[in-house]
Amino acid sequence: MTTMTSASPAIQDSTTPKRPPYLIRHPEFFTLGLIVILFAVVAVINPMFFQPGSLFDVLRAATRSAIFALGILVVLASGGLDVSFTAIAALVMYGLTKIVLLYFPEAPFVLILLAGAMGGLALGLLNGWLVKTLAAPSLVVTIGTQFLIRGFLLAFIGTEFFMNIPPSMLAVGQANIVSFQNNQGLQTALPYTTLAIPILALLTWWLLNKTMMGRAVYAMGGSPAIAERLGYNLTRVYLFVFGYAGLLAGIAGIIHVSSTRIANPFDIVGTELDVIAAVILGGARITGGSGTVTGTLLGVLLVTLINSVLITLGIPTTWQKVIVGAFILVAGLLFSLRSRQ
Amino acid sequence: MTTTTSPTHSNAPVPPTPDGTAFLSLRQIHKRFTGVHALRGVSLDIHPGQIYHLLGENGCGKSTLIKIISGAQPPDEGDLILDGERFEQFSALSALGAGIETVYQDLSLIPNLSVMDNISLTVELAEHQGRLARVISHQVLHDRAVGALRQLQLPDDRYFLQTKIEDLPLATRQLVAIARAVASDARFIIMDEPTTSLTQKEVDNLIRIVKELCARGVAVLFVSHKLDECYAIGGNVIVMRDGQVITQGEINHFTKHQISELMTGRVLSDQRYRRNAPQAQVMLGVRNIGRDQGFDEVSFELHKGEIIGITGLLDSGRNELARALAGVAPLQRGSLTLNGKPIAVHTPAQAAAHRIAYVPEDRLVEGLFLTRSISDNTITAVLPQMCDTLGQIQKDKAARFSQEMTNRLKIATPDVQNPVQSLSGGNQQRVLIGRWLAINPLLLILHGPTVGVDVGSKDTIYQIIQSLTDQGMSIIIISDDLPELLANCDRILLMKKGRISDEFRAEGLQENTLYHALLS
Repeated sequence: MTTMTSASPAIQDSTTPKRPPYLIRHPEFFTLGLIVILFAVVAVINPMFFQPGSLFDVLRAATRSAIFALGILVVLASGGLDVSFTAIAALVMYGLTKIVLLYFPEAPFVLILLAGAMGGLALGLLNGWLVKTLAAPSLVVTIGTQFLIRGFLLAFIGTEFFMNIPPSMLAVGQANIVSFQNNQGLQTALPYTTLAIPILALLTWWLLNKTMMGRAVYAMGGSPAIAERLGYNLTRVYLFVFGYAGLLAGIAGIIHVSSTRIANPFDIVGTELDVIAAVILGGARITGGSGTVTGTLLGVLLVTLINSVLITLGIPTTWQKVIVGAFILVAGLLFSLRSRQ
Repeated sequence: MTTTTSPTHSNAPVPPTPDGTAFLSLRQIHKRFTGVHALRGVSLDIHPGQIYHLLGENGCGKSTLIKIISGAQPPDEGDLILDGERFEQFSALSALGAGIETVYQDLSLIPNLSVMDNISLTVELAEHQGRLARVISHQVLHDRAVGALRQLQLPDDRYFLQTKIEDLPLATRQLVAIARAVASDARFIIMDEPTTSLTQKEVDNLIRIVKELCARGVAVLFVSHKLDECYAIGGNVIVMRDGQVITQGEINHFTKHQISELMTGRVLSDQRYRRNAPQAQVMLGVRNIGRDQGFDEVSFELHKGEIIGITGLLDSGRNELARALAGVAPLQRGSLTLNGKPIAVHTPAQAAAHRIAYVPEDRLVEGLFLTRSISDNTITAVLPQMCDTLGQIQKDKAARFSQEMTNRLKIATPDVQNPVQSLSGGNQQRVLIGRWLAINPLLLILHGPTVGVDVGSKDTIYQIIQSLTDQGMSIIIISDDLPELLANCDRILLMKKGRISDEFRAEGLQENTLYHALLS
C-alpha cells in the first residue's frame, strides 16, 4: 500500500465527500432570510409595525399553528403525512368543553388540558394503528380518519357553537404575561397560552434529538426497509408519531377554545395545508427523513407574519395564499437543488 | 461448446460433530418457501480470523443462507451453533448481540442520518433489545464513532462525523458500514458483493482493512461473483449449488475451472469466446470527440462485425464516452460517421433512430422497469411497431414478440408476463439486451454487461454477444472486467484521464500486461 500524506489514508482523493452548500444543508436559514426580507419590506412601508403589540399579535396568531406544526414535523420526519390533526383538535375541543360543562364545570384548567391531550393521543394512536395495519399510505388513511372524526363530531356531538366556556379555561385564556397600552391607546397583551410554543418546542426537540425514538423516526423516514431490517420496531414508531401529533392537536384545541372563548365545531378544520406548508417552508422534505424544530418554528413564523404584514399594509388577506404559494414554490426549487447534488 | 455434468465433488462433507474452535457452525439447515426447498441440509463452519468467499449461481440459496445466519429468517430445521452452544430463538437483534453483522449491497445505512448516527445504529438497538423509549447520549455516540473510525484510519473530525451518508461516495459509505461493524465488536462480518462499484484502488483499500480485521480475530465472509478477486484476496471458499454446500476449503486447493464446475454443475471453458473476424468496412467513425469533464480527442474506427472493448479506471472517461455515443450525455466536440455518413447523436432517441443501441451500466436503475412484465420491458424500444393504427398496443403481437426474444436469449422464465424483478440478475440483463436487439441495431454498446451476473449466465451472455456478430453487428463493450474483454473482443482500447492511451489486439494478450497498462 503506497504511503499517503493526508491524515486519512483510507480515503483517496477522488472519494473525499462533496459537502453541499451551507444553505442547502441548513434550509431553515433560507426561511430566516425570507423573514428578514419581509421585515425589511415592512420597515420601509410601515415602520409602525415594529411595536411590541404587533409581535404579541403575531405570537398569539401563531400559537395554534405552531403546536400543530410540531406534531406534523414529527410525522413528516418519519416519512408519513397526517391531515386529520385538525379534525382531532376540533373533536377534542368541542367534545371536551361540552362534557366539562355538563359534568364538571369547575374543573381546573390543568385537568382539562390533560384530558384534551389524552383524547388527542387516543385518536392519534388510532391513526398510527390504522396506518400500520392497513399498510396504506398515511395520507390516504388520515384523509379517511379526518372525515370520520369530523363526521362523528358533527353527527353525534353537536353542530351549534356556544360561548359559555368553563371558567377555568376562560381564566387561562385571558391571563397575560404582560400587558400594556400602546401608542394608539389600545390594550395589547401577551397571553400565557403562548408559552405552549417554547414548552412544546423544547419537548419536541428533545424527543427528536435526544431519544432513541427520535433516531428511529428519522431512520424510518429515510428508509423504512433498512430500518426494519436493522431491527427497529416500526409499529412502535408509527404509533408514536401519530400519537404525538394527536396529543399536540388535542392541546391546540383546548388552547384554541380558551383563547377565542367560543366552542365552534366548524372551526380549525380546513387549515391543514397552512400547517403543512409551514413545516415544508421550515425545510422538512415531504418525502421524510428530515426537518428540525427550529425550521418548523421559522416556517410557522413566516406564514403567520405574511398574514400580519398584509393586514398592516392594508392588502386583502386573500393575497396571503398567493404569497405563501409563491414562497413555497421558491423554497421547493431550492430544496430540490439539494437533491440534485 | 459442450456442457457436461461435473465429476464428483473434491471434498468430503463436513464432519457431523461441531468443530471445537469454530465460532459459528451450521448443521443440516433446511428452509422451505411455498413450493421451493431453498436450503437442503446446509452445514458449514466459520472460524475466527478467516476470510470466506461464498460462491454460487443465482438461485442456489446464498441469500437465504445469509438471511438465516443474520437472523432475518428462522430455519425450518437444523442447528445454529454459536461458540459451541445451540442457538434458539435466533432473531435479527440476537444475531447482532452475538456479533454477527451483515453489510448488504445497500450497506444498511440510513441515507439521511449522519456518519456518527449510522455507526451507532446497530449497537444502540442491540444493547437494549430494541427498546426505543430511552435517552441517547451524544457523547457516547461521538466517542464510539471516533473509536471505530480511528481503527479504520478514517477521518474522525466533526465535519466527517456529521456528514450525511447520502452525501458520501459509495466507497466511503462502505467503509462507514464496516466502521459500524467494528463499533459493535462484530466477530463475523458478512459482505454482499462489496466490490461491485469500486475502483481497483478502493478495492485494494477495502481488502487491506478486511485483512487487518481478520488479524484481530474477526471472521469475514464475502458473497461474490468475481472469481479472480476471490483468488486475489485469498482465504477459504464455500461453494453452494441447489441449496446445498457442495464444498468448503482453502481457495488455493481449487482451480478456477473446478470452482466454476462445482458452482454450475457444468464444464465451462474460459478460452476465447471470440469466433468471427471483423469485416473490412468501417461501421462507426469517431473523430476527435470530446465532452467537458469527461473525455477529449477520442478517435477510433469500428468495423462491421467487430467487437472492441474499452476500459480504464473510474476517472478515465470511459463511462462518459459510453454515454456520449448513446446520446445520453452528448458530445460537445468532434464528429461521428455511421457507414460513412456523418450523424448527430444528441439524444438517446436520435441514437436509436440511427440504430445505435445502448445497454446501460445499472440495469436496475437505468434500464429495467422493475415492476413491469418481462414482455413490457422487451418491447419498450419498438412500441410503435406493436401498435395498431389507433395507437393501441396489440397484446398478442407484443406477447409473441417478447416470447421469441426470450427464447432467442434463453431467458429462464415460465411466463413473459411475470414482473421482470422476479428474474435473476443474469436473466434480467438478457431482457435488457433483448429490448435493444429488437431495434435490429447496427451498433450495440454494452456497458458492464455482466455486472452482478453469475458464472453460468455470463457464459450464456458471451455466447449471445458472439452470435450477434454473425450478422455483421458491431459491438462496443465497456467494462472493467479484464478477462471478459480478453475473451470477447478483437481490440481493446485503454483510456486514461479522458484520452485513449493504448490500443491492444486482444488475441494472445496476457491479462497481466493489460492490468499493468491499466494501472501505470
